[in-house]
Amino acid sequence: MRAITHGRGFTHRQMGKIVTYTLLIAVTVVLTIPVVYLISTSLKLESEYIAENLQFFPKKLQWHNYYLALTMIDFGHYALNSVLLATSFATLIVTTSAMAGYGFARIPAVGRSKLFSVVVALILIPASIFIIPQFVLFSNLRVTNSYWPWILWGLSASPFFIFLFRQFFLSFPVELEEAAEVDGARVIRIFLQIVLPNSYPVLATSFILAFLSVWGDWLMPLLYLADRNTTLAVKLITAYVNPQGFPIVTPTLAASVIYILPPVVMFFFVQKYIMQGVVTSGIKG
Amino acid sequence: MTTTSPDSTKALAPAPRPAARAWRRRLASRRTQKNIAFYLFIAPWLLGLIFLVLIPVLGGVAISFTNYDGLNIGNLKFLGLSNYTRIFSDRDAMWSLQRVFVWTALNVPLWLCISFILAYLLNQGIRARGFFRTMYYLPSVIPLVAVAWIGRLMLHPTLGLVNQTLNLFFHGVQINWLTEYAMISLTTVAVWTGLGAGMVIFLAGLQGIPVALEEAAVIDGANRLQSLRHVTIPLMTPIIFYQLVLSIVAAMQYFALPMLLAPTAGGGGGALGAAPTRAVYLFMVHSFRQAFGFHRYGYATALTWFLVILILLFTAVLFWSAPRWVHSDTET
Repeated sequence: MRAITHGRGFTHRQMGKIVTYTLLIAVTVVLTIPVVYLISTSLKLESEYIAENLQFFPKKLQWHNYYLALTMIDFGHYALNSVLLATSFATLIVTTSAMAGYGFARIPAVGRSKLFSVVVALILIPASIFIIPQFVLFSNLRVTNSYWPWILWGLSASPFFIFLFRQFFLSFPVELEEAAEVDGARVIRIFLQIVLPNSYPVLATSFILAFLSVWGDWLMPLLYLADRNTTLAVKLITAYVNPQGFPIVTPTLAASVIYILPPVVMFFFVQKYIMQGVVTSGIKG
Repeated sequence: MTTTSPDSTKALAPAPRPAARAWRRRLASRRTQKNIAFYLFIAPWLLGLIFLVLIPVLGGVAISFTNYDGLNIGNLKFLGLSNYTRIFSDRDAMWSLQRVFVWTALNVPLWLCISFILAYLLNQGIRARGFFRTMYYLPSVIPLVAVAWIGRLMLHPTLGLVNQTLNLFFHGVQINWLTEYAMISLTTVAVWTGLGAGMVIFLAGLQGIPVALEEAAVIDGANRLQSLRHVTIPLMTPIIFYQLVLSIVAAMQYFALPMLLAPTAGGGGGALGAAPTRAVYLFMVHSFRQAFGFHRYGYATALTWFLVILILLFTAVLFWSAPRWVHSDTET
């Protein structure tokens, strides 16, 4: 079957290859055009953007838009807020989730398997159910307009990360820990000195996923932070306006390009870990 | 696992000598130590579960029976189930429910099919697979707010790239993607940004299928499509099932992108009181507007519970249907 050749001398299989590659390249182009167009428009004159005829690239690169993006609003302040929130949340949640994951993987105790089924159930429960009640709780505790919500979320670990860590620790060679236990090392020391230093992949995966979730989040800072103390994500939607209150698009797009740089750069450097996290969450959830 | 357990020492020594007793005591204390260690290790999660999840959620249930608006804690009125019955007479709620069904029915199958096809193509011994995978995943790492800007940039009626390109071929085209065709636009943007994740998961699954199985099918005379249909897809059903469940759960709760894509979102809108275009007025948009726009926390919580119960019902139906079509194997 496969050996049958077409008129032009391609085998069936070669034809298939050509069709496949053409498709793959076409999809690549379609998927990346929007990103390229974002970058290109961020370098246009506002008047070029407003012109109604098709002009994919700017006549002259307007780096001034990037200057405007950084100076029209207090960009550094909001960016710092985003970085601080994302970093502290990610650090906390990775720590607490790793601890719980280790407990579930390695420390036998009464009620462990029941509690673990609670973890799994929490992964599957729709998260929308928590948002309004937590908002009511936090506003009654008067911790809104502060970083406290993120710190509390970070401290309380994430069922998904707990699952991720547990899976990883289960595959971890138990001999190392047993050797340490014979030496009389306490559980905490085993965890800190033997287990964690050997868990770089899962630590990286969960840290990156946690960081990106806060960096990209729009709803929570909108709910919990006052406008002058909020994050870049919130500011990007409404902040770049002229004195009459109309949006100025090209500096906004320049700011968006800066805003998507950290995730994209992170992605190119550590895509293995990001994809690992996605796959684990998808297949094993 | 430790090799000696208290039970085995008991069997060995019916009348424990002092040494054995001390040994057993040490084991017992070691057990207590393990118990303590375990609960210390999970304490942060457990405390968070109690104080940030259980208590607020139970409080939320209580709130959903009242007219709580954030300030009237002194003179709360108990409304019984009327917040729940109100949902059925609330036209906006019913409309948003219908919209979220349409949205789920559009988005989930499209997303599943396209990401499966891409993963399948990438699994055909393609050269530069890493490159394609990276490029397909790229839209998935772009944060939602920027996705919204890209969407508005592409789909603007007069300034958007899509209409301007169409104009080259059909002069005077001015399709209002973000308003008249808001549902299609939302789906397109969401699929664009979601493809990567779906594809990566399917690809990981496809790589787990032994090549020998597909080759055996080909040797038996099956063509590519037949082997896809009768070998690959059945073996992938556990992953398809999982993706289906998770994506339905996520789609039913979808919220932010319709708000952010609305053409008004840039001009001082984008706040939670503003409504997106009617066509993409999804259920959670309605619920969050009731809560954060109008401070009707009682009603908003009732709306959310209504949706969550619906989602759990769907999930239950899917799990019930699973044995009929999901290939189960002893692996995993």
